[in-house]
Amino acid sequence: MPPARPDEASAERRAAFEREALPHLDTVYRVALRLAGDRSRAEDLTQDTMLRAYRAWDQFTPGTNARAWLLTILRHAFINEYRRPRNRAPTVDVSAIEPYTVFGDIQDLDPEGRFFDQIIDDEVLRAIDALPDEFREAVVLSDIEGLTYAEIADVMGVPVGTVKSRLFRGRQALQRTLYEYAVSMGYLKPETP
Amino acid sequence: MTDETPHIDCDEALERLYEYLDGELTPDVEAAVRRHLVACAPCLRIYDFERAFLRFLEARTRAADAPPELRRQLLERLLFDENQLHGE
Repeated sequence: MPPARPDEASAERRAAFEREALPHLDTVYRVALRLAGDRSRAEDLTQDTMLRAYRAWDQFTPGTNARAWLLTILRHAFINEYRRPRNRAPTVDVSAIEPYTVFGDIQDLDPEGRFFDQIIDDEVLRAIDALPDEFREAVVLSDIEGLTYAEIADVMGVPVGTVKSRLFRGRQALQRTLYEYAVSMGYLKPETP
Repeated sequence: MTDETPHIDCDEALERLYEYLDGELTPDVEAAVRRHLVACAPCLRIYDFERAFLRFLEARTRAADAPPELRRQLLERLLFDENQLHGE
């Protein structure tokens, strides 16, 4: 078979990109939204990511993990050009979080965590947005997008052990923030000693 | 009766909590955790609480899809990019 003409080759390239990369657009957008913080920046970051990916498409091995590949590009674009000093929301001090204290606080009151259902979606997203970057990334990739630890390690460029620890601390910090919100709203009424 | 499942204590069961709930453990460690939970009501309660928390997060955060306008703009840009390449 003769080699494809340049216009045919580029059309094939675009078709392959649309087939393998575009189905992950929603994932890229959702992660961009949580990293960048608002819709307008998330849309720019998503477009930027997809165009970079398209231009680098020859470096992608067909049949491998396109989602992780796109998220890696997204993360680099975010770190290099979109990250700004975090002055939007007070950042949670993850190092001060003790594991399982929320359960300890409410085990007699609401051990099944029914209070979570009363918290509105926007508040959940606000609490995620208040996590420090590296913990927010781990939580978003795992709990919103369902990536495996190995995929998250790949995207974040860290060992799997680091993913475990960031996920653990990020989730516990998030839980603590949502618990305190639920108490402040009166959804939970812990007995004062 | 032979039993190959290793025993683990509460500390180890709690250390493995998220890995268990995320399905990230090897089958033998997963079996050991399950065996511990059958025998240990306090750990089981924490596991149930954390499982409810993860389900809640998943249910509440996946709603936003990319706006249709963004998808349309992106397809236009790809076509433009392709034409640029072709034109070179």
